[in-house]
Amino acid sequence: MIYIIDHNDSFTHNVVHQFENFDDVICDNHNEINEEKLKKSKVIVFSPGPGAPKDYPRSSNIYRRFKGKKKMIGICLGFQQILHCEKGKIIQQKKIYHGYQSKIKVISENSLFTKNRKFKVGRYHSLKLKEPFVAKNFEITMRCDISNVAMAIENNKEKIYGFQFHPESFLTENGNLLIKKILSA
Amino acid sequence: MIKKNYLENLNKSKKPFIIYRSNKGFDLYTNFSKKIILTKNNIEKFINQSTKLKSKNKETDLFIGFFGYEILNNLIGIKIKKQKGLKFPKGIFYKPEIKIKLPKKLNYRNLEIINSNKIFKININKASYKVIFDKFKKKIKSGETYQIKICTKYSNKTQIDALDFFCRLVKSNMAPEAFMIKDNDYSIISCSPENLIDKKNNVITTKPIAGTLKKTKKLNRIKALAFFRKNIKESKEHNMIVDMERSDLSRICKTGSVKILKKKIVEEYKDLYHYVSLIVGRLKRNISSLDIIKAMMPGGSVIGCPKISTLSLLNTQEKESRNIYTGSFGYIKFNGDMRFNIIIRSILNYKNYSEISVASGVVIDSNAKHEFNENYIKAKALMDLYK
Repeated sequence: MIYIIDHNDSFTHNVVHQFENFDDVICDNHNEINEEKLKKSKVIVFSPGPGAPKDYPRSSNIYRRFKGKKKMIGICLGFQQILHCEKGKIIQQKKIYHGYQSKIKVISENSLFTKNRKFKVGRYHSLKLKEPFVAKNFEITMRCDISNVAMAIENNKEKIYGFQFHPESFLTENGNLLIKKILSA
Repeated sequence: MIKKNYLENLNKSKKPFIIYRSNKGFDLYTNFSKKIILTKNNIEKFINQSTKLKSKNKETDLFIGFFGYEILNNLIGIKIKKQKGLKFPKGIFYKPEIKIKLPKKLNYRNLEIINSNKIFKININKASYKVIFDKFKKKIKSGETYQIKICTKYSNKTQIDALDFFCRLVKSNMAPEAFMIKDNDYSIISCSPENLIDKKNNVITTKPIAGTLKKTKKLNRIKALAFFRKNIKESKEHNMIVDMERSDLSRICKTGSVKILKKKIVEEYKDLYHYVSLIVGRLKRNISSLDIIKAMMPGGSVIGCPKISTLSLLNTQEKESRNIYTGSFGYIKFNGDMRFNIIIRSILNYKNYSEISVASGVVIDSNAKHEFNENYIKAKALMDLYK
């Protein structure tokens, strides 16, 4: 079972449908977490949402509690939530991407995805990761082809994954494949 | 066929009636046996019970009316502080006993009783619009909202013949969701182009509009499409709305059933082109009418995105009630089928006041002056009826 934590977003149910292709999904608001189901789940997903990671202390708490114990996946704000918990700084970017399709590139050999592969993705974010970012077992594995902004992180040891873009958006090519690969990792 | 002068006589009779655009022309509903004025306390019960009534397969087995903006907020748990403005009901539905088909051309004119000050007053001037605009832009930069629509309102003391206004409006501006309501103490005239919910059996569609281009002699549909595609701002706004509406539908639809049937096409109207998408889904089992309404309303394309945080930002900013504006008009049939639009491009007449609300979107690269003028252009089409 996959447990999706909703940060009041208007894209969350696209995420739910995408994950439902692969397993049963429970989706609860970050204010109404069902502890029992959370504990039973195999995977925790942090949804996109408005604002910044510091606005969602409950989600940070869940991340810290289950890190290394369950597979965790963050999307957009969820991605930033993971980075925030790993002492990364989340800052405003000069150019803001809302509803934007851009090309990104796999930059790491250690990624689950083929190095140098490029594909188009949908983006909805005002904030980004401040670099350099260093955290144990984490690697930035995808970047925007033009601006070089970090677009994905992978921690294959503790099974933690995050995307700054939206795999569930209609603007993203092969979003389902992306999620399938991460879920079977 | 209906008798000549039927409309004229109905209009004179002071009997309330509703006209709603149909595939071929219009449907007229009248002889109301029930009128339900909605409040925070009875709305859920009303929606639940309206689809539990036994259908006798009559064309009038339905409730027709509107939900105002405020009550739709309340329905999804968002409170709005006390606002200024006309104390207009938050929603009204009627049970008709007569439904009559009307042709596309409505021949009714009455030039006698337009009585207005000619000049409409605006509730937010350019300078204060800019202040709100800049405030929201900051909120976009900090990620609290990705797109937000500022509403401005034009009002005037008037006395009008609603049917005359409606007939002239649809003549110059036929829209797929056009409707009018005439009751004893108020009337609404609308040329809404936007369908929010069309549900038949377990299939539901929504048809968001994001992107408007004024027609010129040089333009045609292909050129308009090229304009929208090239215009990054319009494309981004539209993309956002498509993903948001997909998500709203996904809340109530079966996994894998939500599809974009028409992706970013151009529809042509008399004076403008719209950038439109059509999204479909198959409803999950045991989804009630109330579930559908809560998932889809208020319609995302006129609010901004993401819905909840954007509504909260709007509601702390807007001092005046939106009343019907960005609410929904339509019907729920006893069998659970429904059709609802988004109330935009509309005039509300109440207590000898006419009000026309308009809104346009703030995204990161919009320009305050441009959006303010855009609002004026949208309102002008309606204000011109008073000339």
